[in-house]
Order: sequence, then structure tokens, then C-alpha cells
Amino acid sequence: MAKRLTLYITIFLLIGIGLAPVISIFIKSLFVDGEFSLQNYGTLFQSDREWRLLFNSLTLAGATTLITLLLGVPLGMLFTKTDLPLKRLFAILFVIPLIIPSYILAIAWFYCLGRSGIVAIIFNVDFGIITSNLLFGFAGTLFVMVSALLPIVIILTMTYLRMVNPNLEEAARLHCSWTMVLRKITIPLIYPGIALAALIVFILTLGEFGVPSSLRFDVYSVESFTRFSAFYDFNTATTAAMPLGIITFIVLIVERLFLRKKTFIFRAAGSEKTMVMAPLGRTKPFFMAAVSILVFILVIVPLGVLLYKSVSFSAYAEAFIRSIGSIMRSLVYASVGATCLVVFGFFLGYLLERRALKFSFAADSIAIFLFALPGTVIGIGLISLWNTPGTNFIYASMGIIIFGYIAQYTALGERVLAATFSHLPHSMEEAGQIAGADWFRRLFKILIPLAKRGMAAAWLICFIFCLRDIGITMMVYPPAHDTLPVRIFTLMANSPDDLISALCVIMIIITLLPLFGLWLANKCAKKASTLG
Amino acid sequence: MIIKIDNVYKSYNKNLVIKGISIDIEKGERIVILGPSGCGKTTLLRMIAGFIHPDKGKLIIDGRIVADNGKCIIEPENRHVGMVFQDLALWPHMSSYKNLEFGLKAKNIPKMERRKRIDEIFEKVQMDRFKNVHPGELSGGQQQRIALARALVMRPTILLMDEPLSSLDTDLSLILRKEILKLQEEFAITLIYVTHDREEAFSLATRIVVMDSGMIQKTGTVKEISEYIYNASHK
Repeated sequence: MAKRLTLYITIFLLIGIGLAPVISIFIKSLFVDGEFSLQNYGTLFQSDREWRLLFNSLTLAGATTLITLLLGVPLGMLFTKTDLPLKRLFAILFVIPLIIPSYILAIAWFYCLGRSGIVAIIFNVDFGIITSNLLFGFAGTLFVMVSALLPIVIILTMTYLRMVNPNLEEAARLHCSWTMVLRKITIPLIYPGIALAALIVFILTLGEFGVPSSLRFDVYSVESFTRFSAFYDFNTATTAAMPLGIITFIVLIVERLFLRKKTFIFRAAGSEKTMVMAPLGRTKPFFMAAVSILVFILVIVPLGVLLYKSVSFSAYAEAFIRSIGSIMRSLVYASVGATCLVVFGFFLGYLLERRALKFSFAADSIAIFLFALPGTVIGIGLISLWNTPGTNFIYASMGIIIFGYIAQYTALGERVLAATFSHLPHSMEEAGQIAGADWFRRLFKILIPLAKRGMAAAWLICFIFCLRDIGITMMVYPPAHDTLPVRIFTLMANSPDDLISALCVIMIIITLLPLFGLWLANKCAKKASTLG
Repeated sequence: MIIKIDNVYKSYNKNLVIKGISIDIEKGERIVILGPSGCGKTTLLRMIAGFIHPDKGKLIIDGRIVADNGKCIIEPENRHVGMVFQDLALWPHMSSYKNLEFGLKAKNIPKMERRKRIDEIFEKVQMDRFKNVHPGELSGGQQQRIALARALVMRPTILLMDEPLSSLDTDLSLILRKEILKLQEEFAITLIYVTHDREEAFSLATRIVVMDSGMIQKTGTVKEISEYIYNASHK
């Protein structure tokens, strides 16, 4: 009974914090002056501008998905299946853009390709105008989105390749060359992973706010934000949020219907048998050069530009003076958010993996739907629901930001912990039950200690996502509650380059800090176990 | 002689798993490599297939040197070797028919010839009704037959089997052993079979190689090996 109650409370809170705001804006968009009306939608769909925005959003999402797949799948295969030199280093470098907020990449490229950017200084002003015209608009936004989301495709391709049973490839290797094995066996086997990567990239691009707004490319998520924050046109903002919600919903239904059943798990991750390697042979220098060029363009250049632009003590000193409050708030909010998300993720992950209640599938669908929904949509929903005199204690405090994190990122913690629970035999908990331990004793003495590594991983992932969030925070942050990403975003328009660059570097460092801590802890643990 | 394994060594992370093994195998023989888990028998089988290469020593198949002192000279696809894996390794995204057709297509066998060979082998393993069924929809025994058919349809000169019956129940395992014997004779293939099960080894082999700790302990006929094991256990 206590177990069911705990799980019911978690689901109820997820619905209250995450789903209710979305339902609230949907209902509000159906009323004009207190009466039911579809006028908002009529106005929306009669406007050419709205159709153009929808076209822009879908074109950007589609093109980003296509290019990240064309680059990411071969890169994932090179890092997993071949004898490419330095492949581990390359894999780590390619993942960095995922950890740092995507709009920071946009800023870096602005400093590089803008009218008075590094390229314009090196060549000439006319050339700077050409590069600037390219950057501000579809091409530039697409380029930055590709570099920001490419790691998702690489990581998922590598993960799915590692799950392929090597015997399936060896069985084919008896008859044909490596290239044919990859084409006919390996790639078809990882189709579900590739499709999942495509889906995530498509949805994240659709909801992206930071990059298109920095590079002035008009898309729906920016429109919702502008309508809301600049004009405080609540009706248009909520109505404009709906098409993104509907597209997200359709894409997720497609995923549930076609993808979920086709996921082949061929072997447990970390299986002892070594992976079959496809030797690159004489093509090795070519692939090495191609990967090096890509990593240089997509990772080294933007990071290098930020470091170069911020290389002065005074810039860092000023950055700290002007933003120390935001830095501290970012760390506190991300820590509190990640802790809440681990608690939610723990129970929802348990619910999903153990099928502990009849509607565990529905709870998972809600979490995934909210994760896929653009942050601006959730942000508008939260304001719509909580901006009342009675709930001002939440609306005017950090509580509203934490609610936003819970609404958007619960799926992350849930999925990581569901994967953790899938590796814990049911018998562990059952043995405790037979011994007479009640739910809370089993929870604190068996489940939590056994899942602590997964919980730490979930916390870290959630922390990074909360820290880099801008879509929700930008919408809902109360006065004097701005986080570092918001601070950078608001200072961008009228502050010197070196200050913004220094803030971006600080942002990258505080994002990488917990990862460094984890690496250090792992190293110490390994050393201790070797000595033991 | 169809296979000559000449003083081969193999190590993983400084751990020597094959320690100077030499075996000569005649055409048409049924060799069973018998030994406990981790003794190196699967490593030896995978060396013959060409998935791993000996660090030292020579491997000759059908008069051709296929691997020599850490170098792979002939790739797996050109060794004319068939293999049935322990977990069968049937491709889940292909039907039974496509599983069999894959290797034939890779060797550019014409469509008519492919169809003829596949139909013939499906009949031999009594799986005609399951041509268009995917592996996931088949029972353990049926999957086993498809895996065997997939290896045989290529008409290999050598068939390698890595504990293929280990996951089946005893009755089904007995039935399939008889079928393997029948098919091996019919196709006149050299069979190299790896197992840790003595009964299985005695029922299949014309010659048994007993392995332990990466070395050959004893080679002999079924009678000789059963006496060797009896004596060893009554010392």
C-alpha cells in the first residue's frame, strides 16, 4: 500500500507540475474574453507570417536531422567499429558541444564570422559582411544546430553498435567483406537507434530557442517567446505555442507506434566479448584527416574563439563582479533541480521498469511528451497556471524555475534510473519482502543502495541539463532570480565581447566541473580497488 | 589433410589462452574439441574461422596458409568455412530464407541457383514451411535447424560448430545430434565441434581432442578418450 501510494503521489505531482500547465494554456487558447472561441486559431492560420514560421521551423528541424544523421552515423561507426587512431579522444571532443549551451556556440561563431569578427579582421570587411550574412539566417542557424546536436547521433549510434551481438556480424563475415557486413547487417540492426536519434534531434531543433533567436532566424519557439515577453500578448503566444505541441505529439505517437516495438536488444551492455573491428587499412589517413578537420571546425574553432576573445584578466574580473549572483544561483538551482529530478526519476523509473502500476506506460508517455515539448511552451504554461495571487509564493520564487526543470527534464532521470533498475534482479527486493521488510525499509536499505551509481549518473545528467537551460528559465525567472545562461543572453546585446566571452568560458567550466569531479572520483575508486 | 594447426599461440592482455597447439585434421573427420569453460576451445575455433589470428604459429586450410605468425593471410570470407554459433547468430531483421540467401548473394550466385540450393536445404532440415518466418518467431529447435541450413547452403568444406546445442533440452538435443551426423555424412564435410559435454562429444566424434588451460591434454578415438577420462577420474 505504501509503495502504491508513493508511486501515485509521484505521478500526481508530475501531472500537477508538468502536464497541468500545458493543458491550462490549451484551454485558455480556446477562450476569448471569457467565451469559447476558435478565433485565436483562425487568426493564427490566416496569417502568412505564421505559416512561414511553421515552414521555417520544420525546414530547420528537418535539415538539422538529415545532416546530423549523415555525419553522426558514419562518425559513430568510425569510433566504435574501426581501428581509427585517437578515436576515444575524438569521441570526447565531439561530445563537448552537447554539454555546453547551444547558444554559446552561436555567440562563438558570431565572434568568428560576424561583420567585425575574426574572419573580417584577418581578411577584410567585405568578406566579413558575406560571412555575417551567411551566419545570420537559415544557413548559420542550421550549422550551429548541427554542431550542437551532432553528439546525440554519435552517442546513440555508438551505444546501439555496442549492443549488437558480434556473432551476428561474424556470421556474415564468413561470406563477405567488412563493408558489406556494415551495410547489410550492422546498419539495419541499428535502425531503431538511428531513428531514435533522428527523432530526438528533430524535436530538440523544433523547440530550440537560444540559437535561432541569437542568429535572428524566425521560428515558432522564438515567436512564442517574443509575443509573450515583448508584447505580453498572452493569447497569441499560447496559440502560437500550440502547433509545436501538436507536432511534438504527432512525432511521439509515431515513435510509440513504430519504433518502440522494433528495438532489438542483442546483448547486455558491457558484455565481455570484444567487438569485431573493421580495419581501415590504406584509407586510415583519409578518415583521420576528415575527422580531424570536422573536429577542428565544429569544436576547436568555437572554443578557441571564446578563449581568444576572453583572454584578459579584467574581463574575467568584471564577469565575476557583474554575474557572481547569477553564477551562484545557476549552481544552486541546477543542484536543487537535479536532486528533485532524481527523486522523480527514481520512482518513475521504478514504475516503468517494474510495471508496478497499470498505467506505468501512461506516466512514461507524459514524461517523454514534456521532455519533447519546447521549453517556451512549458514556460508559458507555468506562468498561465501559477501567476495568481494565491500562488505568488511559487511564481515569485525559485520554485517556478524548479517546477520548469521538473516539467521538462523528468524523462531524463526516469530513463537513466529505469535502465539501472533493469540491471537489478527483482529477487533482490523480493528477498527483502520475504524477510518482512516494509516498502520504506526496502527502499532505503535495498533499492537506493543498489541504485546509487545510477542515481549519481542521473543527477549529473540532470544537473547539466538544468544548468544549460534557457528556454524555460528565460520565460519564468522572477526578478533577481536570473541564472548565468539568462544573464549572458540579456547582456549579449550591449556588452563588450571580452565580457561575454569570459562569461561563456565560465559557463563551460562550471558545466564541466561536475564531470571532472566524477572522473576524479572514478579514478580514486579504481585506485582504491586496485590497492585493496 | 584439410587442416593443419601448427604450434599456435594466442594471448589476450598478456594472458596466454592458447599455448602451442598443433593438430592435423583429415578430410571428412568429425573432430570434437572437449574441455571445460575457458580452456581455449572457442578461441581455437574462431582462429580457424579467421575472426582472430594466432600471435605465433601457422594455420593451413586445404593446402593454403591462412594465418602465419600474427598475420591474417586469407580473410574469413575466402576460407570456405561454415559456422554455427553458440547463440546461433541468426539475423533478426531477415526472414529464414533471407538468412540463407545472404551468403549466396555475397558470392554472386545467380538467382535461380540460389533458389534451388535454398529449397533443397530447407527440405533437408525439414523447415520448408518456415521460409518466410523471422528467427524471433521460431522455436529453439527450429532456429537451430535454420542456423545449420545457413551454414550448409554455402557448401563449405569445413563446418565449425561452437556448442550449438547447449541451450536446448536433452530430448531435442539428441534428435538434433542425429540430424547433424546425417547431414555431415550426406555433405561429406569435415566437422569441428566444440563442447564441454562428454556425452555429446562421444556421440558425435570420430576423434576427440581434450583441451585444458590452453593446451591439448589428449587426442584419440572415442574409445581411447573414454578410457583416458575413466582412468583419470579413478586415479
